[in-house]
Amino acid sequence: MAPLTRREFLLLGVASGAAVAVGVVVPISIASRDEVDGGAGSTTTGPAAVVALFPRTRVAGLSQLTDGAPVMFDYPLEGQGNVLVKMGEPAIGGIGEGEDIVAFSRICTHMGCELTEYRHEHGVLGPCPCHFSTFDLIHNGQVTLGQATQNLPQVLLEIDGDDVYATGLVRLVYGYANALEGAEMVAGA
Amino acid sequence: MSNTAVPSSVPLPPPDAKESIICCEYCPVACGYKVYSWPLSTAGGPAAADNALGVDFPTALLSGKWPSENMHTVSLVDGEMQNVLVVPDGDTGAVNIGGTHSVRGGALAKKLYDPGSLTGDRFLRPMLRVRGDLVPISWELATDLVADLSRHVVDEYGELAWGMKIYSYQYFENTYAASKLALLNIATPNFSPHHAPAEGDDVPGLSDCGIDAFGSSFEDDKAADVLFIAGSDPYETKTVRFTTWQQPGGATIVYVDPRRTFTAAYAESKGGLHLQLTPGTDTCLYNAIAREIITRGWEDAEFVAQHAATRADLDAEEGGWRRKLFGLSFDEYREYLFSHDDFTLDGAARETGVPADDIRRAAELITGGGGERPKTTILFEKGLYWSHNYENTAAIGSLGVLTGSTGREGRAISRMGGHQRGGMKAAGYPKDKSPDEYQGNKVEMDTERWFVQGNTRLRYIVGTNWLGAMGATQALVDATRRLTSIGPVVPSTDPDQALAALKARIDEGGTVIVHQEIYPNDSTPYADIVLAAAGWGEDTYTRNNAERRLRLYEKIADPPGEARPDWEIFAEVGRKMGYDGFDWADTNEIFEETAPFASGRKDYTALIEKAQADGVRAHDLLKTYGTTGIQTPLSLVDGELVGTPRLHADLQFKSDSGKANFVLPDWDEVKARNEILGPKGDELWVTNGRVNALWNNLFDHARREISNERWPVNFLEISPADAEARGVVSGDMLSIVSDDVLDQLGNATTGSFNAVAYVSDIVPDGVTFAYFLYPGQPANSVTPGDSSLQPINLRYNFKLGKGRVTRIGATELTRTMSFAPRNLVP
Repeated sequence: MAPLTRREFLLLGVASGAAVAVGVVVPISIASRDEVDGGAGSTTTGPAAVVALFPRTRVAGLSQLTDGAPVMFDYPLEGQGNVLVKMGEPAIGGIGEGEDIVAFSRICTHMGCELTEYRHEHGVLGPCPCHFSTFDLIHNGQVTLGQATQNLPQVLLEIDGDDVYATGLVRLVYGYANALEGAEMVAGA
Repeated sequence: MSNTAVPSSVPLPPPDAKESIICCEYCPVACGYKVYSWPLSTAGGPAAADNALGVDFPTALLSGKWPSENMHTVSLVDGEMQNVLVVPDGDTGAVNIGGTHSVRGGALAKKLYDPGSLTGDRFLRPMLRVRGDLVPISWELATDLVADLSRHVVDEYGELAWGMKIYSYQYFENTYAASKLALLNIATPNFSPHHAPAEGDDVPGLSDCGIDAFGSSFEDDKAADVLFIAGSDPYETKTVRFTTWQQPGGATIVYVDPRRTFTAAYAESKGGLHLQLTPGTDTCLYNAIAREIITRGWEDAEFVAQHAATRADLDAEEGGWRRKLFGLSFDEYREYLFSHDDFTLDGAARETGVPADDIRRAAELITGGGGERPKTTILFEKGLYWSHNYENTAAIGSLGVLTGSTGREGRAISRMGGHQRGGMKAAGYPKDKSPDEYQGNKVEMDTERWFVQGNTRLRYIVGTNWLGAMGATQALVDATRRLTSIGPVVPSTDPDQALAALKARIDEGGTVIVHQEIYPNDSTPYADIVLAAAGWGEDTYTRNNAERRLRLYEKIADPPGEARPDWEIFAEVGRKMGYDGFDWADTNEIFEETAPFASGRKDYTALIEKAQADGVRAHDLLKTYGTTGIQTPLSLVDGELVGTPRLHADLQFKSDSGKANFVLPDWDEVKARNEILGPKGDELWVTNGRVNALWNNLFDHARREISNERWPVNFLEISPADAEARGVVSGDMLSIVSDDVLDQLGNATTGSFNAVAYVSDIVPDGVTFAYFLYPGQPANSVTPGDSSLQPINLRYNFKLGKGRVTRIGATELTRTMSFAPRNLVP
C-alpha cells in the first residue's frame, strides 16, 4: 500500500470526489499548499484545511518506539491527551522510515469521552466507552463505526535525529471552539 | 518549523443570534436540534455570557453543547448568506436527552444549501427535457405542463393512467397536500410510497393481531428487562434510541440478524443472545420459540386467557378479510405450531441455522422460563418484514401476544421504524379501483407492474430515487427507458410545442415522468419535467417520530434559487387542474385543515382545539412544546394538552371484540418462496441495508465530506472464507451478477452492480451485505421485483437478493478508506 504524500495528507479530510461518486473515486483534491494555508483560518465552509500549527514539542524518542506500543502525551494544551503509535504499516500522515508513526487525540469527537483502548491488530482507537465510536489510525482518524461527526484530531509530527516532535494539530478537539482557548500550553511548548 | 499558530475554530453565535427549533431529517428517532443563525460580520465569544449557546468554552465532557466543525455552515437566511449552527438540543426533554446525536444528525448543518460546497448541485429551478437535455423553464410553464398533461391523461385514459410515487414520511403538510391532489381529487389507486410497489400496511401480520405498529415509547425500551430485536440494528440505524434508551436501560438483548453487527456483539457481551439466522427463515425461528414457550408452559397465560380472541370472537368479526382468513385462537395457534416438525428445536436449528440451545435460551429469556416474568419488549423493522412480509409479521406479532408484550410499561411490541412518521391522507385509498386482488379480495395495486405494462401515462415522482429503490431496479430502468422513448422529442421550450410533443408520447402509449426533487439522482436521466423542491428547514413543518412524538420543524433557511416547497407545487397543479381547496397561504393552514384526517395514533385534534381556544396558530402552540414535543394521540384535560406515551394501555386492541389474536405464521409458504429466491450453485445471498454514517439514497451524504471519505463507493461485506475462495481481499472491486432476478412481470432477468470488498466476519459464509441505495451501484438490481410472490400484501422480498460474486481487480481505496472491523465492543 503506497502511503499518501505529506501534502496529500494535509489535504485529506478537506476534500471530496464528485458529489455523487460512481465507481472508484479517491477523495483527495489537489490544491497548492498556499491554498491550504490561505484557507486555514477561514471561518466558513469551503475547501479550507483545518490545520493548526503549534510550538514544536518533543513527544517521543524514535529508537524507543516499537510496533503497537502506544505512547501517551498532552499537546498542545495541558489536559489534551494524545496517543502516538508506530503502526507497523504505512499510515496516512505517518512519518519515519516506514511512514508508520502517527499520533492522535485521545478525546472522542462525539461527546468528549476518553478513548482508552488501542487495538493494534486492527489499527483502531476505540470503541469509545461512552457511545462506541471507533477510529482508524491508519486512515486519517476516520470514524470506522460510530457517531462522531469528525475524524479524530491528528497530531502533526516531525523527526529530528532520534527525537519525535509534535508541531500542530489537524481538526478541533472536543469542547473547543478555538484550538488555543481555555488552558495552558504544555510545558516547553 | 514555524511557531506561528494558525488556530482552527468554529464560529460561535453571538447572544442575539436568531434561535429556532428543528428535529433531525433522517431516522425515526428524530433527535431535537437548535439552530442559530447570525450575520457573517458578527461573532460570539467563548464566555457563556458572550454566546447564544450559553456555555463556557471549552465545554465540559458530555456537555452536549459542543459544535463540531460539521455542525456549522453558511447558508441563505432571510435573503443573505449567514452563519448557521445546527446543534443537538442539550436542553431537550425527550429523545436525545443531554444533547447526544448520531453521525447522521450531528452533521445536519452540512445539509443546508451553500453554493460553494458539495450541496451546490441542488435543483434551483424547474426544467424541461428538450432534445435530450434538461433546460430551465419558468414555474408557470412547468406547472401548466404538469396540469395540462395530467388533465389529458385523466380525461382520455382514466385515473388509473395517472400515477404518483411519493415519500410517505415527509411532513404532514406535504403528504396531505399530495394526497389531496392524488387520492381526493384525481382519486387514483395508482399511488404508492417510496419503499414499496403498493400502498397499504407494511406490517399486516402484526396489524391482524389487533396491535398498533407504533404503540410503544422509548421509555419502554429503558424500562424493559429484555429486548427482543429482530431485523433492525438499533446502534447502526436508530442510534440515539440505542445510546440514550436501550444501553442505559441495561436490558438483556436477544438480537436476531444474519449479520454479527455491533449490536449483536454488544448483546452477547452483556449476557444476551445473537440468533444468527439464515436469511429468510424468521417465521420458522419465531414459531419454534413460541412452540418451546408453550411446551414449557411459559406463555403469559393470564394475558392470553383475558385478551386473546377465541374462535367465537374471531367468527363474530365484521371487517378485515385477512383476519378472517388467517386469524387464530390460542388453541388453533398451538395446534399449528405442533403440527410441523420444523418447529421443534432441532427442526428449527436445521432450517434457520440457529443452534437449538440458543432457541431454547431465547424462549427462556423472553418469558423468564417459569420464574418471575420479565418485562419484555419486542422490536423489529425491515430486515424482518422485507424478507417475508405477511408471514414474518404474523409470526412475531403472535409471539408478542403469546408473551403478553403489549400495552404495559416495558412490555410492548413495535416497529422501530424506517423513516419518521409524516404521512397524512386527505382521502382513503380507493382500493375498489385496484386491479389487484387476493382470493377475490381487493388489495392495493402494484403500481410498478402496472407501469411496466405501459398502463401509466404520466407518473409524478416526488422525493424518492424511485428507480434505485424498487426491486429488480435494472429491469425497471429498462422499462422506463422504453416508455419515455416513444413518440417525438420535445423540440423546444415553446409551451405549445412542448405540450404537443409530450401529449403525442402519451397518445402513442408512452409515459411522461415528472420529477419533483431537491437533487439529481438515478431517476433524473428519465425525467421529462423537473420541479425544483425545497426541503428540510426550508419551510415550517410538523412530523411524528417513532414514538408518536409530534414536533415543529421550523424554517431555518431560504430555499435555494427558485425552489419551492412541495405543498405549494401540489397546490398550483391542483388549482390549474380546476380543483378547489388548494388556496393555503402557509403550512399552518394545512396543518390545521389536516387535523380531522389525523385519526388514531396521529390524532392531534386537541392541539387545534386548544390553539383555537387560546387564539393562537397551531404551529405556534406546538412550538411552545419545543423539541420535547408531545406524544399523539392528544387529549385536552382541564384545558391542557395531554399526550399518550403508550397505546393499548387499556389492553384494548383493534378488533370488534377489543381482543388481540394470533395470526397464522405460514412457514410452508415461506419455505416455498425461499426455494425460488435463494442462492443456487456458486451464488451467495446478497442482502442489503443501512450503515450508520449514510442515509437512504445519499441525497445528503453524497454531498458530505466525512461520508465520502468513509464510504466513497458501495461495499460488499463478504466472509473471509467466501473471499478466499474467490481470491478476494478487502479493497478489491467486485462484480455481483444474478441471472435470476424476477422482474415486475415475474420474468427472470439479469441484474448486476459493483462494490468494493469489505472482508469481515460480520457476515457468515454464504451471506453478503451491501448498502441498499448507493448511487450508481444499486444493490436492488439483484433483489426480486415480483410482488406476486407475496399476493396477500404486494411487497418485495427486498432483503433476499442473491448473486455470483467475482473479483474485478484491486483498487487504491485501501489507502484512504477504513476496512477495520465494524463490530468491536469494549
